Parts: sequence; C-alpha cells; structure tokens
Amino acid sequence: MPADLSPHLIYGPTGIAVFIIGLVGALCAQDRLRRVLALKLCSVGAGFLLITAAWREPPAAPDPVPHALVITGIVVMISATAVALALIRRLKSLEAEADTPQDTPEASHDA
Amino acid sequence: MSDPLAIFDLLLAVAIVALALATLSVRDLFAAIVLFVVFGLLSALAWVRLSAPDVALAEAAIGTGVTGALLLKTLHHLRHVTGTPERAAMRGMTPGAPVPMPVIWANAAFCGLIALGLAVAFLGAPAAGPGFDALVAEAMPRSGVEHPVTAVLLNFRAYDTLMEVVVLLAAVIAVWQIERGLSEAPAPVLGEVFEGFARLTLPAIVVLGTYLLWKGAEAPGGAFQGGAVLAAVGLLLLLARLYVPQPSHRPLARWAFVLGTGAFAAVALLVTGGGRVAFEYPAEHAKTLILLIEGVVTISIAVTLAALFHGREPVAMAPGEAPAASRSGEARDAG
Amino acid sequence: MTPDAMSLALFVPLFGAIAAFVLPRAASVIGLVAVLATCSAVAWLAREVMAEGSMTVALGGWAPPLGIALRADGLSVAMLAMTGAVGLLVSLGALDALRDARQRQYFWPLWLLLLTGMNGVYLSTDIFNLYVMIEVIALAAVGLTVLSGTRAAVQAGLEYMYASILGALLFLLGVGFVYLEAGRLDFAGLIAAEPSAGLSAALALMVVGLLLKTALFPLHFWLPAAHANATAPASALLSGLVVKAALYIFLRLTTYMPLPDEIVITLIGALGAGAVLWGGVQALRAERLKMLVAWSTVVQIGLIFIAFARAGQVGLSESWKAAALLILAHGVAKAGMFLAAGRIRTEVGHDIIADLDRSAIRPTLAQFTFALAAISLIGLPPSLGFIGKWSLMEGAMAAGYWHWVVVTMIGTLMSVAYFSRVFAGFLRFDRMKGELAEHKGWAIADVAPLTLAFAAITLGLMAAPILSFIELGYPFGAVP
Repeated sequence: MPADLSPHLIYGPTGIAVFIIGLVGALCAQDRLRRVLALKLCSVGAGFLLITAAWREPPAAPDPVPHALVITGIVVMISATAVALALIRRLKSLEAEADTPQDTPEASHDA
Repeated sequence: MSDPLAIFDLLLAVAIVALALATLSVRDLFAAIVLFVVFGLLSALAWVRLSAPDVALAEAAIGTGVTGALLLKTLHHLRHVTGTPERAAMRGMTPGAPVPMPVIWANAAFCGLIALGLAVAFLGAPAAGPGFDALVAEAMPRSGVEHPVTAVLLNFRAYDTLMEVVVLLAAVIAVWQIERGLSEAPAPVLGEVFEGFARLTLPAIVVLGTYLLWKGAEAPGGAFQGGAVLAAVGLLLLLARLYVPQPSHRPLARWAFVLGTGAFAAVALLVTGGGRVAFEYPAEHAKTLILLIEGVVTISIAVTLAALFHGREPVAMAPGEAPAASRSGEARDAG
Repeated sequence: MTPDAMSLALFVPLFGAIAAFVLPRAASVIGLVAVLATCSAVAWLAREVMAEGSMTVALGGWAPPLGIALRADGLSVAMLAMTGAVGLLVSLGALDALRDARQRQYFWPLWLLLLTGMNGVYLSTDIFNLYVMIEVIALAAVGLTVLSGTRAAVQAGLEYMYASILGALLFLLGVGFVYLEAGRLDFAGLIAAEPSAGLSAALALMVVGLLLKTALFPLHFWLPAAHANATAPASALLSGLVVKAALYIFLRLTTYMPLPDEIVITLIGALGAGAVLWGGVQALRAERLKMLVAWSTVVQIGLIFIAFARAGQVGLSESWKAAALLILAHGVAKAGMFLAAGRIRTEVGHDIIADLDRSAIRPTLAQFTFALAAISLIGLPPSLGFIGKWSLMEGAMAAGYWHWVVVTMIGTLMSVAYFSRVFAGFLRFDRMKGELAEHKGWAIADVAPLTLAFAAITLGLMAAPILSFIELGYPFGAVP
C-alpha cells in the first residue's frame, strides 16, 4: 500500500470509531429509543469494516463477498430493530395502562 | 492517490464520526433520529466511494430509510401514550436511575481502550489482503448471473440469504405477537413526524430507487433494495391512509410474508437429487431459478417491511376498546 | 428430490414454521408433526454419522471457502438430538400449558423457527452463517419470551433483545476482522490462519459477544428476568436449549482459534466461578420458584465454563468433553424443571417459595419431577449431571487445579441449600390451616416433565456411550 492516505486507512478507523461510539451508547444510554440508535450505529460500524476490507485499489474490482455479507447484515439488523421498537411501544403502553387511575387488575396470565 | 479525493474522504469520515457522536448526545430524540438519518445517508455515500453501490443502496433504503421511519413512528407512539408531547417524552422516557457520570466515563475510557486495540489490529492487518476475489471470478461463469454480488447472495451463499429472509419472517411474527391488541395512536399522520420523515427520507429513497432500477437493467440484482423501494410505497400508502389493514386481510398477509421464504426453500430442496445437493441449481436453469427467487423474495421483503412499519396485527377491535379487554375477543377470532 | 439428512434437519422445521404460521388453526398439529419429523431426520443423521464418523455437504455444490458447508459429527449430532428430544417433550407439555388460542397460534411458528436456527448452528461451518443463525434464534427467542404479554415479560424481553443484538454485533465485528486477516470465513480457514493481532482481536470480539448471548457472569444480567417471566414451555426452551447454541459456538471457536494464553482460560474459569457463587447467592434469595430456577441456569452456565477451563490450556483437548456432558445434562434437566415449575404454579396458583408449604393443593407428581431434575442439577449419582461434574473435578484434580474443585464443591453445597428451600415447601404440612385438598397433580401434562427428569438421571448410566458418541468424527481435531 502507498504510504499516503488511502480510503482503507481513512474508513477502517472510521468504522471502528463508529462501532465504539455505538458501544458506549448501548452501555450508557438511559433512553430506550437511544439504545436502539446506538446499536444501529454499531451495525453501521461493522459494515464499514467489512466494506473497507473488501476495497481494492482501483482499477481492481472490490471483493463482492463482504458486500453480500453487509447486505445480509442490514436486513438482519432492520428485523432486530423492528422487534426492539415493537417491544418499546408495547412496554410503554403497558406502563401507561398501569399508571392510569382506573387501572383494572391485570388479567392473570400463566407466567 | 489523488489529493482532492483524500481530502473528500477525510471530511466525510470526520462528518460521519461527528454525526454518530451527535446522534447519541443531542437531547431531543426527534433531532437524534434526524441526525441518525443524515449519518446513514453519509455512510451510504462513503460506501459508494468504497465501490460498494449495492450495499450503499441497501443501507440508504433499509438501514436508514425504513429504520428512520420505524424510529419516528415509535417516537410518535411514545409521545402519544405519554400524553406529554414535550419534554418528558423527548428526554428520558425510561424510568429508573440515571447512569452515574463516573460509570459513563469509566465505560467510555474502557471502550476507548478497546477502540485503540482494534485500530492497532486493523492497521496491522494486510491492506487489501486475501479475499474471495479469485474464487468468485473463477466461479462467476457457472453462477447463472452476471452481477457478482447477486451471484454471492443467491448462489454461492444462497443459504445465508435464505436464513436472512427467515430472520425477517421471525421478526414479523414476533412483532405481530408483541403488539397484539395494542391500540393505535390516532395519529396526526401528516404532522411533524411525517414531515420530518418525508423531507429527509423519501427524496433519498426515490433518488436511490431510480438509480436501482437503472442499475437493475444492466445486471440482475437487488432483491433487497427493490423490496425496500416497494416497501417505501407501502409506507406511504399506510401513512396517507390510502390503505388501512383489515382483519380480513390477515390470511393474505400471512401468505405474502412466507412467500419468499417458502419459495426459496422449496426451490433449494426441489433441486436435490441426481447427485445435486440443496441449493445446487442445474446449470441450464440457474438463471431462471435465481430470477424467480429474486422476484418472490422482493415481494415478501416489501410486504414484510411495510408490515414491520405498520406493527400490530390487524385484529377486530371495537373503537375505544381497551387493549387488555380485547384479548378474549382476539382469541375468539384468531385465525 | 432426494435431500440429505442434514438439509432435512434444517428444512423440515422451517416448512413447519411456515405452515403453522399460515394455518394458525392447525398450528398445534402442524407443530407436533414438524418436530417429530425433525427428530426422525436427526435420527437418520445420527445413524449415518455412527457409520461414517462425520458428514459434510457443500451447499449449492460450492465448496468452502466460497460456499457454505454443513458438517455433522458426534458433537453436532448430540446437540441436535438433545434439542430434538427436549423440544419434542416440551412441545407435548405446551399442548396443555398453552390454553390461550392466541398464545398457541404464535408459539408454534416461533418455536419451529427457533428449532431451525438451532439446528443451523449445530450444522454450520461458517462464522458469518453462524451470525445469521444466532439472529434467527434471538428473534424467535425474544418472541417466545414475551408470549405471556405481561409487563414484566415485555420488560425482560426488551433487555434480552438489547443484549442479543449487542452480542451479535460484537460477533459480526469479529467476523469482519477474521475476513480482514484470513480472507475467508469457514472453520478450515480459521485453523489454517497464522496467529496475528487481528485474529486475536477477532476472537476476543466473538467470544465476548457469545458470552453475552450465553449469559456468563457478569454478562448474565438479562437472563433471570427473561427466563423467569416467560410462559413455562418458553422458559423450558430458553433455559434448556437456547443458551446452549452460543455455548456450542464458543466450544467450536476456541478449538479452531485456540485461546492465546493460559491467563485468558483462567479468566474464563474465574468468570464461571463468579457465576456459580453469585448465582447461588441469588438463588438462595429468590422469592419465586421460577426465579430460583432461572438463577440456577446462571450457576450451571458458570459450571460449564469451569469445566472448559478445568485443566488449563494443555487440558483443553479433554476438557471440552466435560463441558459438553454438562451442556447435555443441563439441557434435559432444566427443561424438565421449568415445565415442572410451571405445573406447580398452575396447580397451586402462585410460585412464591415461602408460601408453598401453606398451600392446600400439592401437585405431588410435579413436585416429584422437580426433585428428580434437581438431583441432576445438584449433581448426585447416577445422573448425567453427576457424570459431568465428576469429569470436571477429575480433570481439575489431575491437572492439580484444586481451586476449580473447591469452587465446584461450594457450588454443589449451595445448590443443595437453595433446592432444599423448595423441597421444604413441598414436604412441610404443619403450617397448613385446614384440610389438605385432593392431589390434583396427576395429569397428562406431567408426562413430559417427568420423562425429561427421568432422562436426566438415567442418561447418567449411559455416560460411556454418550462420551464415545460425541468423540465421533474427532470434532476437535481434523476438519473437512
């Protein structure tokens, strides 16, 4: 590799930085929604690493396999995000239900 | 390397990291989501720069577009349920003790160390090291398609892709299950939420969708991107109330969700025999089968993404009926 | 169409899940048939592996590293068989335990997707494929966790989801580093790769992600609430089967990418010891029966990691067998115990441990089942749990690592103590005011947990064949 700033040198550390920012957020954020955002940052960071690793000095074409992996990762992540957000909405509704004064005793479930 | 490009790269990288930081530190949640969407689009731009247009498309359409829409919808729901659209909902919606500052700093320092270690490991790794380049180039003629990423997704690593669609299916089943009987926030659908969403996300999706169609002409590819673009149409229909899911649509919706997974798995299994293993398409039919799979998977992805955005399963519920009370009713009409 | 046994073990539950989802009214029937058919596929696979040692199928005809291969050896088939058998019995238990049509309608597709994901993990030889599989498992498992719909369950499910996503993303970043260094993602590539800083980083990331998923102390924070608040069949699946998937990946990975240092192995053992002690204390303090059982899972996971570390680096070639035995023993016994706890709760109407001795209703068969399962979890002879613990201590003593023996003994004593709290509630009648009601426990629903608990004990008598079976195909030596 040439010693000057290649995209490899710039975007690889960018991905790691974004992942770590997301990691700190996921560990520290109080807000439920923001923890989802933080995890989403982590996934973009991991994507950066794979795409940077697949990059080849033009005119060489990049390695397509990591690209396919990242596309898979994106679809997996939206699935997980959707479930987490549905849980957040549900939990908020249950909490609001429990807080209202005319609260009916919760139906007994087989927990 | 040419200097101007390196400067562009550096500026973009700095902007991406700054946006990531801002997403987590800005107090207002709406602003955080908007910043996240900008972050996602800039990341996609960086991926285009890294010669990964397919991934950039998927990230912009699904990772940023649909995710952003989901986040805004959730924020809207939270504000509606809390009944306090202003400060309480914007800031901490999570009850419980705040994380003490020393803990945050300790975590940040610890993670900083990890970052340092990872950076050292990254820089120590061979740049443009070994990869699948030669193997893919050698196998491409036998793959049945011309576009390498499509070949990987639907032939070489088709098993991963099938399981990815399974993940999507699991998600929609889980979401229906989680949100059963959840009453919908009577949404001012064209309010701030929709505007923010529309202003930022939709133009991007439309532009990228056009690019995708153009791209699709020269190489078969992009079931996921295509699905996401179709899903965007579904999102618009749902938001504008041009389509309201009805309980009677459920059987059809179920079939639409499983269509992609089912057809993909059926093809993978049906081609076995005569020395061929699962996913081993006969060479003369490879192209047809891959196009068929792409088609049905696109439909399923579009419907599933739209359903994930819509959230709860459409069940018969009298207006104003409390969610908890409706459970027995749902059990009765389940199916 | 002539698919092989491995593909069938994956596709049968997948098609079952699809059918159960689109035909919700017939979900139970479809589900049972699909689980039975999966078990048959696994049995067929077991026969072939016994004959040939190990089997490999390169999916799509593309050999690794370009394609993805499925591989079955003794250890994979043992895990598949445990999953299938426990899953079948839990399914039978679910027929009775899930009375709500709505719960049934969602239980079956989610559980069959979970089964698909777990079978996929046990057959996979590709680390990115493993990432996708653990996400299939995670989403289905979270869906099962919140099946009861209570606030506590949803809260626990959300925490579980966060932990799962973070664990999977750490694993994914590790996969990225493996690609960066080795340029391939299959197991054989991991073995062939030269050690480097990048690979160490990859291993560290993947291991931390897996520890989070399998809930090793101190990353166990999400587990007790999630497992205790789910409905009984879901708890049985989550505790008995789901955490084992990440454990299995850990065992495989650390064989193909050896842990670099004795210190790391000792650290992992120390975390296991922390789990045994902390989980034990929490189980002693638990107020609810299901919470106690959930904390006992934390303890058992710690024990499995102690077994892994029992003899340090040189002993790894043998230690994995002790860990595998404990994994199998815990899967069977814990599923039985959770189902029994669910039965007790259903019959008595609550599961507050302190009030069990005030109950007029004594579901004797369920209580007996609970005690049988506890025998294996405590590690009394002749149970499989005993064999696992014995093998752990034997290896540790042979290597002179007495500290692991001491921790295991303390953990055993603590488990006797916390399970005795429950037995006391079963056996004391003096605090009961009024007549003792009829024993209502003799129900068909007790068959499944009782079978599991009996199996946990009697499998101990078959330890030798099990041990020789998991060694088939030299799981930890040669690879395709």
